[in-house]
Amino acid sequence: MAAAKTRTSTFSRNLSTAAPSHGPGLKCGPNGTVFLSSGIPDLDKILGGGFPLGSLVMVMEDAEAPHHMLLLRNFMAQGLVLGQHLLYSSPARDPRGFLGTLPSPAASKDDKSRERDPDQEKGLRIAWQYKKYFGENQLDGQRDGKHEYSNEFDLRKPLERHFINGPRIDCVSIQDCPDLSTLRDRCATFLSQFPRNDGSISCAGRIAIQSFCAPQCAYSNMEWDMLSFIRSLKSMVRSSNSVAIITFPPSLLSPSFCKRWQHMADTLLSVKAIQDEDKELAQLLTGYQDMVGFLNVHKVARINTQVPVILEATTFSIKLQKRRYLVLECLNQAPVDGSSGTSYGTSGGCSSSSKTGNLDF
Amino acid sequence: MAESIYRALRDGALEGELAPALTIKDSVASPFALQVFSHVISHLFSSILAGKSQSRGLVVVSFSRSPSFYLDLLKNKGTDVASSNKQIQILDCYSDPLGWKDQLAGSRNFTALSNEALVSSNAIVFREVKHMDKLYNSIIELGKGLVGGGKIRFSIAIDSADEMLRHAPVSSVARLLSNLRSHDQISSIFWLLHSDLHEARVTAVLEYLSSIVASLEPSHQLANGQRGDLENFSLIKHNSKKGKFHVRFKKRNGRVRVMSEEVHIEQSGINFTSLPSEGAINQGLVPKVQFSLQLSEKERIDKANVVLPFEHQGNGKPIQIYDGRRSLVDSKHERPVAAVENVQTNENCGSGEIIYYRDSDDEMPDSDEDPDDDLDI
Repeated sequence: MAAAKTRTSTFSRNLSTAAPSHGPGLKCGPNGTVFLSSGIPDLDKILGGGFPLGSLVMVMEDAEAPHHMLLLRNFMAQGLVLGQHLLYSSPARDPRGFLGTLPSPAASKDDKSRERDPDQEKGLRIAWQYKKYFGENQLDGQRDGKHEYSNEFDLRKPLERHFINGPRIDCVSIQDCPDLSTLRDRCATFLSQFPRNDGSISCAGRIAIQSFCAPQCAYSNMEWDMLSFIRSLKSMVRSSNSVAIITFPPSLLSPSFCKRWQHMADTLLSVKAIQDEDKELAQLLTGYQDMVGFLNVHKVARINTQVPVILEATTFSIKLQKRRYLVLECLNQAPVDGSSGTSYGTSGGCSSSSKTGNLDF
Repeated sequence: MAESIYRALRDGALEGELAPALTIKDSVASPFALQVFSHVISHLFSSILAGKSQSRGLVVVSFSRSPSFYLDLLKNKGTDVASSNKQIQILDCYSDPLGWKDQLAGSRNFTALSNEALVSSNAIVFREVKHMDKLYNSIIELGKGLVGGGKIRFSIAIDSADEMLRHAPVSSVARLLSNLRSHDQISSIFWLLHSDLHEARVTAVLEYLSSIVASLEPSHQLANGQRGDLENFSLIKHNSKKGKFHVRFKKRNGRVRVMSEEVHIEQSGINFTSLPSEGAINQGLVPKVQFSLQLSEKERIDKANVVLPFEHQGNGKPIQIYDGRRSLVDSKHERPVAAVENVQTNENCGSGEIIYYRDSDDEMPDSDEDPDDDLDI
């Protein structure tokens, strides 16, 4: 048999310790993919490293909440901070205005309270649903290296002007365009700067298209044209070293097109609004007061592999810690009050009825 | 709760943000949007006159009713319109929206415009409703005429969005509305919509563009939409006088506040009252349980009165350990107290019972023991 250079097993060497010959902000991943950060460290972790270069990310907006803007802001700010090129398009008259709201990287790790309240854990025996706290502690050692790849962003501090005024940003307004040819040409010129070849990657690009089918755009009822634009963008992105993120409100599309668009995505996320002062939800979930919305991960990009990603959880709550830092957390059910006698089926039997047999504990 | 709407419109827009936009939506089953719209206009106008709102002027873009309707409405509500030229202007898209009268008048002497002169101090006729850009410019011009340039803001009321959509495609109307919202002199904007007249996508577009959606629904849903049945007739009568008013606020922090009230239509206007004991229902994440988790008051009292199987009551009577073999009749005469029992009655109110059948009779009658004690860990 020939030398086993090509391994067909699912074990793959952890290449992140190998010296990366790539530019800043890029990380090698399994199966020969290179990742770039989404700007939200929690999201990178959930997706297994970040967004792979060459992938198309689509975010389904909720018409009732602006959470997709949070994702876009972090994505764009991350690119600018690391010196990557950015093309931003939006239906507003003046897209540059949005750049003023980009966040700046957080000051230092010391004053940020990523660590949980220490009092909570003293003398407590930790039940299963708190296992997320264990995961956090292990990351401390890796933080230093991560600054070159991803940053934690402080949403209250605007990004410094010199990042925004640099030559690496291009903005397009799609409101008045009668069709998508202008946008397609701009994307093509932008992406031609990052052709993919086998050598090392010097720089990467990011495309952010906000509210793609917004109703004020003239082309917004040309559904087939929009679909073919997405398809051509996907193919252009695939053959370049960049990541494109498109957000769109699915309620404004017809259902069949909405499905088609979802199929086009390599990574598909959706954000949902939370109802305020919802007592039932407050009883069901811990930390309801701090949540601003939900993030669902529907699809994770798998390039160069047939093995699908199966996530432990697909719904996360979006929280703003100290109203500054975007944090994604798994949903935790609130502890069930034993005296009520009933329990939601999914929580373990440890807190519920007293009539368990000998083997249930 | 209608108060929250007024407050949102009064407070207006913050610097650098889009102006709040309200959609008042109704349907044939509950057609009170016009009354709600008039109510909102009169409220907003009186707060403008009183100086309590961010906006200093109101521009009413009137497609489906003549300007005199609004002037009369405000007069009836007690506001003095004649002297408030500086606070309200009406863009009259009702009298001659497509410019036909003009074209006709061009070919002969015009006589038809005399009755418009009466309201001309407050109303300006607009003749090109197919061109949303020109409409936009006229609205802004009218508003600036009211409040001047600079930083002073004004509000806009559009009656109704349906008429705009008749004349122009959805994307132009959407562009108009979003440009109005992002103009820095607009404090707030609201419009009327009859959802039956449009496809679902159009309603979705207008809801997407607004930050507050107020919808009117009938109190009682008619069965199968039939209107002929006798039993439905009383429901229809009911629905013609009152309905439900649901409002969804999109808050800045990304949460949605949902409120509901009942609305009653009377001669003098409309009244909002709070809904009779209805909690907010969130269909999204709450798991569907078949149990009713809440107790009514009577149920709570009964529950408190039931004596539980494992309670020891020691109130004078001897504590007996029941071995599960006595007849039912005997046990009814004494208060069953032991840890193991068959049937328990409650002598106080006789309604609550806990029926507990032991798994097997092999076990020792005294089961104060913790069954976990014999686990060998």
